[in-house]
Amino acid sequence: MPRLLRHALFILVPLIAALAIAPAVYGNHLLLFNLIVFMTLAQGINIVYGFTGYLPFGYVGFFGAGAYGFSLAVMHLHASPFAALALGALAALLLGLGLTPLFRLSGAYFAIASLAAALAVLQIVSNPALEHITNGPYGVSLSGVFDPSLAYAVALAILAGTVLLVIWLRNARFGLALQAIREDAISAGMAGINVVRGRVIAWLLAALIAGLTGGVYAWYISVFYPETVFSGEVTVFAIVFALFGGTATILGPILGVAILYGIYNAIGISTPQYFQLVYGLLIMGLVLFLPNGLVSLLRRRGVDVP
Amino acid sequence: MLIYTLLAGLLFGLYFSLMGLGLNLMFGVMRIVNLAHGDFLMLGAFLAFWLFNLFALNPIPGVAVAFALFLLAGLPLYYLLVPRLLAARDPEMLSFILFFGFSQVIEAVATIAFGTSERSIPGGSMARAAAAVASLLDLAYRPGPIAFLGQSFPVAWLAAGIVSALAVLLIYVYLYRTRLGYLTRAVMASREEAISTGIDVHRVSAIAFGIGIALAAVAGVFVPFMLGSITPAMGVDVTITSFAVIVIGSLGNPLGTVLGGILYGVSYMFMQSYYSSWANLLPYLLLIAVLLVRPSGLLGRQVRRA
Amino acid sequence: MIRHTLLAALSSLALVTPAVAAEAPAEIKLGALYASSGRFASISMPVHDGMMLWLEQKNAEGGVFVKVFNRKIPLKLIAYDDQSNTGTAATLYNQLITQDKVDILIADSGSVLTSVAVPIARDNKMLLIDQTGTGATFFTPDNPYIVLLDDPVSTIWPKPLADFLTQEGPKLGIKKVAMIYATNDFTGTQANAVRKFIKESNSGVELVYDQGVPTETSNYTVLINNIRATQPDAVIELGYAPNDIAFLRNLADSGVKFNFLFCIYPGLETDLLAKNVGAAGLNGVFTYVPSSEMSYESEFGMNLPQFKAAWNKAYGHGKVEFGFNSVAGYTTGLVLEKALATADSLDQLALRKAIFDLSGKLKTIDGTFELNAEGAQIGEITPLGQLAAEGEQIKFVTVWPFAVATGKPIYPAP
Repeated sequence: MPRLLRHALFILVPLIAALAIAPAVYGNHLLLFNLIVFMTLAQGINIVYGFTGYLPFGYVGFFGAGAYGFSLAVMHLHASPFAALALGALAALLLGLGLTPLFRLSGAYFAIASLAAALAVLQIVSNPALEHITNGPYGVSLSGVFDPSLAYAVALAILAGTVLLVIWLRNARFGLALQAIREDAISAGMAGINVVRGRVIAWLLAALIAGLTGGVYAWYISVFYPETVFSGEVTVFAIVFALFGGTATILGPILGVAILYGIYNAIGISTPQYFQLVYGLLIMGLVLFLPNGLVSLLRRRGVDVP
Repeated sequence: MLIYTLLAGLLFGLYFSLMGLGLNLMFGVMRIVNLAHGDFLMLGAFLAFWLFNLFALNPIPGVAVAFALFLLAGLPLYYLLVPRLLAARDPEMLSFILFFGFSQVIEAVATIAFGTSERSIPGGSMARAAAAVASLLDLAYRPGPIAFLGQSFPVAWLAAGIVSALAVLLIYVYLYRTRLGYLTRAVMASREEAISTGIDVHRVSAIAFGIGIALAAVAGVFVPFMLGSITPAMGVDVTITSFAVIVIGSLGNPLGTVLGGILYGVSYMFMQSYYSSWANLLPYLLLIAVLLVRPSGLLGRQVRRA
Repeated sequence: MIRHTLLAALSSLALVTPAVAAEAPAEIKLGALYASSGRFASISMPVHDGMMLWLEQKNAEGGVFVKVFNRKIPLKLIAYDDQSNTGTAATLYNQLITQDKVDILIADSGSVLTSVAVPIARDNKMLLIDQTGTGATFFTPDNPYIVLLDDPVSTIWPKPLADFLTQEGPKLGIKKVAMIYATNDFTGTQANAVRKFIKESNSGVELVYDQGVPTETSNYTVLINNIRATQPDAVIELGYAPNDIAFLRNLADSGVKFNFLFCIYPGLETDLLAKNVGAAGLNGVFTYVPSSEMSYESEFGMNLPQFKAAWNKAYGHGKVEFGFNSVAGYTTGLVLEKALATADSLDQLALRKAIFDLSGKLKTIDGTFELNAEGAQIGEITPLGQLAAEGEQIKFVTVWPFAVATGKPIYPAP
């Protein structure tokens, strides 16, 4: 059996099946929905950071663009949720295209510039001068299309598509080419890999994923403030979850979200007064003692982690 | 209005330079991004608050206490965190995550220790310090705002401006007139070459780390007068502002911070005066524009890659 | 306690024997969130403690009277700490509904922490008891699952202020008004309302300066200088507590004085503002008079002096300050008590109907309870007052509307 098919059969199918059944078993649907959202976003981070080495510290900008693209389509064009999702994704893609010049920057510069871009979009969206378009700081209320169960199913479909994409990247020539660029861009270029094109495609794929996720998030929660969908916490969560599991793998981000998000919620319900402290310490411990993620523990024991 | 705004921008810009100075020194020497910078500033502010309330110590002498204490605290902190971080595969990116976690820890501990309410130091304390300095220098001073080039400004603005200018001057003397500073510049130029010539890189870096934190604490002393009030959650905004300042100046070049601070201060104040609600958009646009036009900052070296 | 077990035993009996009438539950489960830390802790804790005061009082009396069962039933509170984090809050709201299966869902205070509960409550067909979340987007005609109990929607807040400026202002010589506001839901909505009220009054009062600033604004010195340049007769500054603190401090440090200055938080969080700005800095400032400073004719529950005494007895340790928000939390309890005493069933929509039936009829410590069709509070108004500092003591003088005024405004302010 080819590896691609094996991965799809043994990772994707059980994951989606489990998340599809979960609402019937466990009542806290929002928690499950957030789990899907973060799994998708962590995979998006995985595509940019794991496969190209660029850390987009403003990743939430695409998520927010998707959420607002969706909301504006519903509010002004009275679009159906699916058409609105497409417009949300388009908004994120356009933002991604507009930001491609940032790739000229290296390391920390890129991370900071992408953060600044996300914050700039937030400042524009939440400005009262644009109240008649975005409803400014007063937030969005999408009561007309409210349908959490359908939104949950769509979010699951987006997750499935994203994981499938990562499975393909992990097994196809293009994914290998990207990793080669990450390790040494100049040598990769000399080996005939189109460096610029590779990075831009990965970047736009990640933007598309975040845009779709933001759109479906807006649909699901339906009442939100600009700060909610542009919260820096979304980026940091997605990055930390991806790193915790291990980037440039299929399984890493999935494990990372399942375990860490589980722990967060357990603390959040039992001893929330120490939530921030434990959360901070966990992140520090992760960087200092497990910088290559959980999968590196398995790899050291000779297990091949997909 | 025009002249007032310009002068206000210059004065406040000096304070912005002080805010970014330590962060930039740290990045220049270690190539790490200290996202907990604003939280050290917050701790410095709380130190000044407690010194004032417990020992009735005026914030101006409090500056010296803050500098000394945080310098001493910075040294062990360096050895605890940085060498381990630098050994990882991608320390520049991982430093984002590590120090984000650290900032969460600091904020959580400060919340548990100090509570969440806003705190400040009475504005009169600055006037008293000014009166003491004035009598020392035999100058006439009545408590209240101070005239500066024909416009009147709060006395704290002048105090913060003077302390900021002194701090920049001292850093200049340290870097260019002392042996340790000479070694520090060698590490900034190239860490690898510095190691190979036998420089004790860790000692040089630890001191730079300590100075960086101490400068943040000094800026913190002026928080109640320049930024309204102190809360444990204030760090994030300060960190982001500091980044804008040093990127505009130039990352890794401490003296470029002054140019960045003043440019940021003047443009911010003009924006606040003429397009008030857009004032917070400007820093991000300025940052992105500077990075795209001159990725190295206005005074920086070449940093683009491939 | 004996009564409690007895009730529990009775209800378990009722479960095994087929009941003739609906069997009474052993307790009514209330689910609530509070924030013991973070940005909203200072407004959340007093609301929560105010409600606790009511709850403990009722349970000491054996519970609240529930009409459906024609008897008193004890209350049980399940409360979680959301740490001012909307993500945590959302999960916890869900936890209350789906895992703890509470009978009544009570939101945390403030618009931000309430906002995430709005769709969750609606999704689960639970009536959201919104305590102080005033966001205008929460209230839509197609969502019956929300009702705002303890303060009016943001658009109502500045009505007394605007009425005073447009009706009394011209007599006092107030013509030019400057307004600066933080661009967030709470204060932006109020600024829009002020603008509209002034425009529609045709009183000759005009806005000579009208600017929004980002909520993160922490220094107003340059803006104060710009406002002064327009020579306003009255200045309205709308912001959260940190904005008001920065504005008032910068004003004092700049040596600028305005004849009429209105800010929100000197009234809502007087002690906090006094600590940061100093009593002298609040002298003469106009502000909202919260229900913690106004003695309303209370026809149900304790009146203000009684409540204040009970509060000091229960929470005299001073960790959570008495103020507007503590009264709000207590009012939540009163409305629920009255609703349970009149509702025809414990079904969520029956509760909603019971609460709506109170509209215009219920007069509590918080003023007259009145709802619009979408569940937004429009009754419990916020009169205009002026602060007077005597040494470190700060007193409220209510100046508008006349019906509730306790003194005359001092203009220009001292």
